Order: sequence, then structure tokens, then C-alpha cells
Amino acid sequence: MKRILVCVKAVPVSAFVEVDSQHRLKRDGINLQWNAADASALEAALRLAGEDGSVTVLTMGTSKLESPLRELLARGASRAVLITDRRMAGADTQATARVLAAAVKKLGDFDLILCGCKAIDGETGQVPGQLAAALGLPCVSNGETLEADPDGLTITRRLETGTQELRGRTPTVISLCAYSYPLRLPGILGMRRARNIPVEVLNADDLGLLPEQCGLKGSATKVLAMESRFPGMRRGPKETDLTLGAKALGQILREVRP
Amino acid sequence: MISQNALHHAEKCRFCWMCRHLCPVQHQTGKELNTPRAKGLLLSMVHKEAQQFDKDMAQAMYECLLCDACTNDCATGYQPPLFIREARTEAVVSELAPESVMHLIDNVERTGNIYGVEKPGFGREGTDVLVYIGEAAAVKAPEMAENLLKLLEKAGVSAKVLEKEPASGVMLGDLMGYTEEVRQMAAVCAKALNETKLPVVVLDSYDAEIMTQKYPEWGFEIAAGVTTATAFTAKLLAEGKLEAKAPLGVTGACHDDDRLARTFHEFEPVRRMAKAAGYDLTEMFNHGKLAKSCGTAVAWGYMPELVTRIAGGRWTDLTRIGCDTMLVANPETWQCLSLCVPEGCRLVDLFGALL
Ligand code: SF4
Ligand code: SF4
Repeated sequence: MKRILVCVKAVPVSAFVEVDSQHRLKRDGINLQWNAADASALEAALRLAGEDGSVTVLTMGTSKLESPLRELLARGASRAVLITDRRMAGADTQATARVLAAAVKKLGDFDLILCGCKAIDGETGQVPGQLAAALGLPCVSNGETLEADPDGLTITRRLETGTQELRGRTPTVISLCAYSYPLRLPGILGMRRARNIPVEVLNADDLGLLPEQCGLKGSATKVLAMESRFPGMRRGPKETDLTLGAKALGQILREVRP
Repeated sequence: MISQNALHHAEKCRFCWMCRHLCPVQHQTGKELNTPRAKGLLLSMVHKEAQQFDKDMAQAMYECLLCDACTNDCATGYQPPLFIREARTEAVVSELAPESVMHLIDNVERTGNIYGVEKPGFGREGTDVLVYIGEAAAVKAPEMAENLLKLLEKAGVSAKVLEKEPASGVMLGDLMGYTEEVRQMAAVCAKALNETKLPVVVLDSYDAEIMTQKYPEWGFEIAAGVTTATAFTAKLLAEGKLEAKAPLGVTGACHDDDRLARTFHEFEPVRRMAKAAGYDLTEMFNHGKLAKSCGTAVAWGYMPELVTRIAGGRWTDLTRIGCDTMLVANPETWQCLSLCVPEGCRLVDLFGALL
């Protein structure tokens, strides 16, 4: 596999986050980390690319992400691109996918585009599919393992009831589950190499996007209200029969599995 | 390259000074730079480009035992060892780490241990458990390793030891932070341990820590489980597979090593071993979760003089309570405390004491 692009997102470390008056997550001053599923996608990409391939990481966010992107270069990515523009704040999944697709087109041809299956802050899982649609490519979601051979790709997908094995051709978009591929750490040589690779920075103008295609203005969905619930609380009947209880528990566990 | 998470910890400090009195390095050196909060402040200044990360700063990051006493007492949940470890990585990447440290890194890369010697073998066949001896015990406390193996034999436990035991990665991790090189070393070790399919009994709690805390995070769990040698021995005592000795009429104090105390919250097994060995127990100031470190094998490797003073501080803690018998069950604490046993005092290996 020669050229792979991985979309990554910085998400809050803590589950306790604040939103502004427009229900946008306040990211300033909070501790961020790379989304676990995106990290898994990056490791899969690094393994597929091997020594001769290249892996580009692409993210959208504030300029503060330059340094965390450098960390991904130290872990083995060959190129890092940051899309940052105030006009993009508050983008919904569709506006995000539009921006990412414009960047992918600008950055060149890729054999494979990998994403995490969902980000732990929004939990929608919509961006990979929307990105594929915007690029006119097929999409496979919830990939667990990914192997390449001269004829194409073998992907194992995680389903609620088990797994499914698929064969696919490139180019394609694949979203990967968290923890399928534990991401390697930055190595000493990788860190030295990363110092000499600049993080490329793009804005809406570089991507040829109009303000009404970005951010809140370019979003089809609007968050009108938000309500907080006690995390982990779930209302349901109290089950006293062991067999029925085990069955109900099995159902709940399947629900949250992917 | 300090991660966002580490920086967050470095900048969270409220300068309340609570950790100041707990740092064993600060105690011995008296340097303000050796307070955990000062190290955080330095890194924060580097991040704000108010200061360069230079050789002096790198040196300061190595004047720390990674003992976690500061974390344990910090009201803000601030974890200095997290960013101190990353600062060590930065020091190595920038070629600013002290020469003594770089020499040890070379040794580990060549031989798997800081001592730069071929690890003595304890290889034997067994079917119940795999005993992981570790670098410090194999080179600096081989008697403790032999005593543990004899004790297991006495209890009827069939213990296997790998002929060529790979390094766990803990020494390299303490020297240059958790980098991919350390993870690769750990992967080799995990593979070798998992191939035996046996539960692993780990003599050195420093090895046990990396195996239980970092291996799963890095994607390779020890499938059959990891137990500290102290917890395993205490269990053998509880099951009656080892017999308690008659009282000796001697009072001793257990030194809790920092990883057992703060990572595993394991205090009772060592005391059960000490009582079964016939000792009456007393306690030093700063024991249990608050245990004061007496040094580590790695720190001894690059600052032997300071570690000898730190170990001396622990002996002072012992004599201050009118006791002369220090009871230990960890090869690294054995190595450090034996550097400076005061006249009239005794250092006791609890595995040996139970034989
Ligand atoms: S105890 Fe915590 S908050 Fe207080 S000075 Fe130490 S590190 Fe800072
Ligand atoms: S880890 Fe231990 S030696 Fe290091 S700063 Fe904290 S208390 Fe001091």
C-alpha cells in the first residue's frame, strides 16, 4: 500500500466538558488527546504502508494542534496536515466531511483513507461515510482488522452479532474500531526526524471553500438544546429471575458493543 | 516533545508545597530545583518559550527516583513522574541527557541491563508458575533470587525460570521514558512469558509494575496473570504450604518499596512474611502508602553517591525509632540499602528469612 491518509481528531481527555451558548464544545484550555479509534486507524495505516509507503495524518482544529501532530510524525507518519480556520468552528458532521474531502482532493491521490469509526466527543460515527460520499468512494465502517494483498483488501467488520469478512478494492474509505491496533509510541529516532518535518497548515481559502460551506453556516444540523443526564444511569425493570436477567444484560451489552 | 497530557499535569500545580517534604531527593540535596513542583514549573516555562530546555534542566529531570510519593500526596491529582519521564525522553532526543545516563542506555541496549553485563541465568523447568527474576536481582541480589526459588520448592511449587530471561523494559523506561524502543523490548518479554502459558510470579515489583500497568496499554497483556513474589509467598503462608518460624525475639521494620506501596497498594504480604519469619514488627515514619523511597537500581546507576545518601536517610528513619533490623523483599531496595548498612544494623531478605 503506497499512499494512505488518516483522519484524526483531538478529543477531550475528561468526560466533564463545557459548551458555549451555541452548544459548541469549549476546547480552549482543556486537555486533549487523539481519539482512540483514530489512533487505531493510524497504526493500521503504518503497518500497511511499511517501509516504502507514506502515511499522511489530517486533522481539523485549533492551531494548538501543531505540536500534538508532531507527536504523530514521531510515531511514524510521514506528513501532517492541520486545517485551521475560525470560520470552521461549530461544523456538524457534514460540514466537517466537506472540509476533509476538499483537503484530501488538494493533498493528492491516496490508495486508502482511514478514519476512526467514531469520536468519543460527538459519538456520531457519521464523518467516514459522509467523507466517502463527498469523495465518491465506497466506505466500510467498523473495521476491526485490515490486510492488503496485491488484489485488494480483506477487512473484518465488527457487527453487533459477530464479525463479517469483506474483500474490497482501493481506493476506499474505511473506519476502524478503537483498540484494534494499539498505536506505537514515538521512538527516539522518530522524534528526531519529526523535528525536521513541518506541519502543513491549510485554511478555508487554501481549500477553495466559501464561508457558507464551513462551520456553523455550512452545517445542516443545529443543536437547539442540551440536557445532561447522570452518566451510566439507565431506567429499566428490575429483573429478579436469573435467566431473564442474564438475557436482558446480554442485550444491553450487545447494544454498547461497537 | 512533551505531550499535552504531561503539560497539563505540569501546569496544574497550585504551589501548595504539600509534596515538598515528601520528596526523598529534595530531602538529601536540599535543592529547590528538586521539588516536584519546581520541575513542573521549569517544563511549563519551556513550553511558554520563556526558557530553553538545556543540560541543567535535563540533569534536574534525572534527579528524581520516579517514586510517586509526590503524586500520592498531591491534592490536585498532579503526577510529576508523568512529565518527568517525558522530559527524560526530550533530554535523550535532544542529546542533553547526562553522560552517565547515556552510558546506562548503551548498556541496556547491549545487554538488557544497566550494569552492562550478561545476565546470570537461573533457568530451570517447572509446571506451576514462571518466576521472573529481573535484571537487578540477577546481577545485584542473586541470593534473594535463589532464596525465592528455594522457598517455592519448599512449598511444593514447581517453578520454571526462563533460560534466557528477556528484560522487561523497566530500566530503559526509567532512563528515557516510555518510547517505542521500550515498547519493543517489552513486546519481546511479553511474548516469551506468554509462550510458557504459566502465571508469572515477579520478584522485582518494578518489573511487575511495567508488566501490569504498561503492557496492557501497549497491546500485550500477560495472559495467565502477574503476581508479585511477596503476594504469592504470603498466599503460600496463608494456605499452610509454608510454615511460620518460632519467634526470634527480634523487632524489625518492613521497608515498603515505592512500587509495591503506591502501584499495588500492597503492604500486608511483606508484613505477613516478616511475622512468619519470626520477627516482631514496628513501623518507620512514612511507611505504607507514604513509604519513603531508598533509591532504585536505575538511579543508583547514574547517581550512586546520591542514592547512597538517600538509602542512608532510610536507615536514619529506622534507627530513629530505636530499631536496628530492616526487613526487605525487593532486590532493588536490597541493592540500595546494602550500600550503607550502619554499624550494628541488619538488612534482612525476607525470602531467605523464611527458609
Ligand atoms: S502537592 Fe501538588 S499542587 Fe501542591 S505543590 Fe506539590 S505538586 Fe503542586
Ligand atoms: S517521584 Fe519521588 S523523587 Fe521524583 S519528584 Fe516525586 S517525590 Fe521526588
